[in-house]
Amino acid sequence: MTQPRYLRSARITAAGLAVGALLLTGCAATVNKSGTSSSTSDNTNAMLTIPREDMSTFDRNFNPFAPAVNPMVNQAIYEPLLVFNPAKGDTTPWLATEWKTAADGKSITFTLRDGVKWSDGKPLVADDVAYTFELQKKLKGGYEYLVGATAEGTNKVTFTFNKPWSPALYEVGQLPILPKHIWSAIADPAKDANATPVGTGPYTEVDSFQAQSYALKKNPNYWQPEKQKIAGIKMLAMSGNDAANLASVNGDVDWSTQFIPNIEKTFISKDKEHRHYWFPPTGAMINWQLNTTKAPFNDPKVRKALSMAVDRDQVTKIGMSGYAQPADCTGLSGNYEKWKNPAVKDNCSWTKLNVDEANKVLDEAGYPKGADGKRTLKDGMPFEFKISVGASSSDWLSVANVISQNLQAVGVTAKVDSPDWASVVAGYEQGTFDSGIVWSANDPSPFKYFNNAMGSATVKPVGTKTFDNYHRFGDPKADALLQDFVAAGDEAKQKDVAYKLQEEYNDAAPLVPLFSGPEWGDYTDVHFTGWPSQDNPYATLSDRSPTTVLILTTLEPRK
Amino acid sequence: MEETVRFILRRLGFYLIAFWASITLNFLLPRFMPGDPVSRMFARTQGKMQPEQIDALRKLLGVDDRPLWEQYIDYLHNIVTGNMGISISRFPAPVTEVIAAQIGWTLLLGGTALVIAAVVGNLLGILAAWRRGGAIDSALPPVLIFIGSFPYFWLAMGALYLFGVILGWSPLRHAFTDGLEPAFTWEFIGDVGAHLVLPALTIVLVSIGGWMLGMRNTMIATNSEDYITMAEAKGLRPGRIMFRYAARNAMLPSVTSFGMSLGFVVGGAMLTEVVFAYPGVGYQLLNAVQGLDYPLMQGLFLTITAAVLLANFLVDILYVRLDPRVRSN
Amino acid sequence: MTTAILKQPTEPVEPTAARKPNRSFVHGLITNKKALVGMIVMLVFIALALLAPVLFPGDPSRITAMASLEPSPEHWLGTTAKGQDVLALTVHASRSSLFVGLTVGFASTFIGILVGLASAYFGKFIDEALSLVTNVFLLLPGLPLLVILAAFLPPGLGTVILVLVVTGWAGSARVLRSQALSIRSKDFVAAAVVSGERAGRIMFREILPNMASIVMSTLLACVIYGIGAQAGLEFLGLGDVSTVSWGNNLFWAGNEGALLTGSWWVFVPSGVCIALVAFALALINYAVDEVTNPRLRKIKTPKITERSAAK
Repeated sequence: MTQPRYLRSARITAAGLAVGALLLTGCAATVNKSGTSSSTSDNTNAMLTIPREDMSTFDRNFNPFAPAVNPMVNQAIYEPLLVFNPAKGDTTPWLATEWKTAADGKSITFTLRDGVKWSDGKPLVADDVAYTFELQKKLKGGYEYLVGATAEGTNKVTFTFNKPWSPALYEVGQLPILPKHIWSAIADPAKDANATPVGTGPYTEVDSFQAQSYALKKNPNYWQPEKQKIAGIKMLAMSGNDAANLASVNGDVDWSTQFIPNIEKTFISKDKEHRHYWFPPTGAMINWQLNTTKAPFNDPKVRKALSMAVDRDQVTKIGMSGYAQPADCTGLSGNYEKWKNPAVKDNCSWTKLNVDEANKVLDEAGYPKGADGKRTLKDGMPFEFKISVGASSSDWLSVANVISQNLQAVGVTAKVDSPDWASVVAGYEQGTFDSGIVWSANDPSPFKYFNNAMGSATVKPVGTKTFDNYHRFGDPKADALLQDFVAAGDEAKQKDVAYKLQEEYNDAAPLVPLFSGPEWGDYTDVHFTGWPSQDNPYATLSDRSPTTVLILTTLEPRK
Repeated sequence: MEETVRFILRRLGFYLIAFWASITLNFLLPRFMPGDPVSRMFARTQGKMQPEQIDALRKLLGVDDRPLWEQYIDYLHNIVTGNMGISISRFPAPVTEVIAAQIGWTLLLGGTALVIAAVVGNLLGILAAWRRGGAIDSALPPVLIFIGSFPYFWLAMGALYLFGVILGWSPLRHAFTDGLEPAFTWEFIGDVGAHLVLPALTIVLVSIGGWMLGMRNTMIATNSEDYITMAEAKGLRPGRIMFRYAARNAMLPSVTSFGMSLGFVVGGAMLTEVVFAYPGVGYQLLNAVQGLDYPLMQGLFLTITAAVLLANFLVDILYVRLDPRVRSN
Repeated sequence: MTTAILKQPTEPVEPTAARKPNRSFVHGLITNKKALVGMIVMLVFIALALLAPVLFPGDPSRITAMASLEPSPEHWLGTTAKGQDVLALTVHASRSSLFVGLTVGFASTFIGILVGLASAYFGKFIDEALSLVTNVFLLLPGLPLLVILAAFLPPGLGTVILVLVVTGWAGSARVLRSQALSIRSKDFVAAAVVSGERAGRIMFREILPNMASIVMSTLLACVIYGIGAQAGLEFLGLGDVSTVSWGNNLFWAGNEGALLTGSWWVFVPSGVCIALVAFALALINYAVDEVTNPRLRKIKTPKITERSAAK
């Protein structure tokens, strides 16, 4: 029986589609294989490839004032006056060679480096610095303490403040400097796309820009040409951690900074010889904040007891895959290692796991356990509350789950509440939350951290929106110390005050510090060598912080 | 003919009302969400933004504090003039630009998958109905339905790991190889095709079962109609009967489904694009929602609604041509 | 007969007269092989869901330190990166997933029935209004709407169910409405109206029983939708993260990089379960079609048909 004509043609069509698809794959398969191979051929032309997990597409917008700045704008295109390295605590002069703080702490004078040119050939002058700050204040605000930046001659800039402000050195020193001759001519600097940027940085020339990848090539007029050893940087847009992790694990990128779960097994094991990671604890302290406007959180004994119930080892091992460093009673993250008060750090009690002590303190404070093992509050209601955390931060979500589990041992019930971050932060801002996992300030100077933790100036009442000190705790003793801190001219004096602040923090326990947020970073040195590491901490492995430019000017192609 | 015109006009009128209702809902929904885009951004940077900068940012992004009805009038006016505002998450790109840049890929992915699934599915359905109880009819529908029962993203991730990572047969991400300049060359088209295979294949696998089964059942119902028996009695060739009589009538519900699906292709396969990092509007929408980017969200919803409506309308017109009985309803 | 072409492909041809069709319907289902397989699978899952606390006592999501163990005699499906037993998680998850799926299915179908019957009985104005509302909801993009609602309403199973019903009811409403309308035009309904039966009685005792098979179809389809959409939402992290469900298991599997570490045993079971349940329901649906539309039934002797006779 012959098959009907139509039937046969139907079958042929279907087969044809399939074959066609295969052909497309076949002839194109050779085209893309090069991406995954780790060719040992010429590394001198290799581009440093980096994924970006939080941007699914790129816009050709290299404006540093954009709400979401393109990667490498503030790291490879524009440079600051100095670079502070939290991994070692040292500061490298960059566009400025030296600086001097006035005795009254109300001004700093920077001396600019000679011979620095913009990528279009024009020289860097003091006016550029002054104009940058003028523009910054106009467009984005902030820098409340800054009266102005005045250029003196072509190579000196003086910043004047309306009050002594010791943290100013780093805040002012790390703002990327823009060229006045370009930016003063732009009609709408806030919205301009700055598609062909002009900067002092090592890699400023935009090459092959597409929606999901772009490359930056060498700045022809860079002031450290001997340090431009790599050919350029290539950024890839990914659609989330999963896609970025896949790229890292597969060897499609050189350097990545997103969270990789179980990094030994997923990433390192695939190429033990070349792949490395290093997570210095220089990120911000991650705190479990308790809303001190709500009972029983207004009682420091309760705060300390709850803190003692938390098994920080388990939190860091399971919640953070063992990558984070548990906190101590100074409340300071690893970023402030050199500021830590050894007396407080060594004699610490309330950040160590001690379930018995926690139970004892809670009993004594008046929160008895009922017959079912669960505690009640002073008004008879059960001792229950929520821990808020944004659903998209899965590592912190695990942390919250561990804490909730730990608290069961002391008869306290904590339910993890995880809507979207917008919702969580709205609760923080208004002061309506019970407790929550929260970040903290991580500036080079610890002032902001302590100010936000216990400065009365930052306390706003419940119902008034605030952007720091969500837990609304103000300590008059700390206030006095904070005043001393900003007035203190040199670092030695600042350190003295900082020691006292830590003693006060240890006393008052405004927050429950959990662990130092690690600075994620991993790399493969198949193509490039010269990476920072624990033995050589000249920078952290972050690709979006001020120290990134140190890495860009140290890497060299593998020979 | 006048009947047809009246029918079309009535449908048009209905669609306009539906459109207005939809866009009003599209306007209201994002505003029911707690928080505002700037707070969201602040949270995302984990407090690295200085609080004093938040006001300036608000002004810059045009976050609106005006009363709702004022915003609504503005919104309606903007729709009529084609101005969809400036995106917040992709500032300062205008929303129309953001959508236009990415919608092509979504259409390519969704359209290709839809066409393949519909065509192959319908063909298989016809074949299955033709050979009742044969190999295709007994084995294929359950198998395809089973494959289609898996959660879509599960299949996508599994396929990506199996074919992409372990076997290395397929590229792992994006619409084309990074660094390759888009151009109308065979090299580029081939590259795009290679990157399209896996994402499209997963969508096809999930949906093909439905098309096949639908067509098969309708064909079977049609095959029992009197006019088919008549055609057979007249001695027409089986193939001719199958395609010119049976399939032609059985296709009508498929045409409706196809039209509806075409409209929704514009919405983007959000999960596909996330798993394969495919640069379409779907992932952009997820981003927009998480970033509280009202203008972009509204713009995307508007585009999807308009596309679905348009597709519906075109299908209605097509249907009238294919099935004259509808006109007299 | 002429209306058959215009209906959705999976709708059966017009139902038989207003006898009690249920007895033969149920009988037909039980003897149908596909339905049998489907029902057995469903019963197994429902049993597992109900017995989960007995089979796997304790909290399956308890975080311990044993990480990512391969399947072994102690842990038949291995453990997750947080040391949770995968088999226990999977079985416990069936409770939430089935509960949400069934609730969404029943709720959507119920609303669909109300809309359909009201449209059919009350006619002109109410019909137009309901049809407009239905179509507006059909036009709203489903997944984005899901994402928005789920992301910003307070998290919890209630929200998930609400969100799924809001996005899912329109589909069932449309199908049920067109079926109800076609029954409305039948003579026996006209007879009932003329003889003065009350509206409620007409709707629920005359029209509804004749829609039984399509209501069942719709119900099954809505349950499948509920389970699948819940899994999709949870995978994006928008479901209720504190419950144990198949979708959430997959969410955590992704977050812990299960596939990246090669821990396939974390990733596979929940997906397979969703597929099996959806497939079982689809089989039952398939069977319902066959039972109510005899033409779709399996032909035992395919070789000799009227076609070959014509050659």
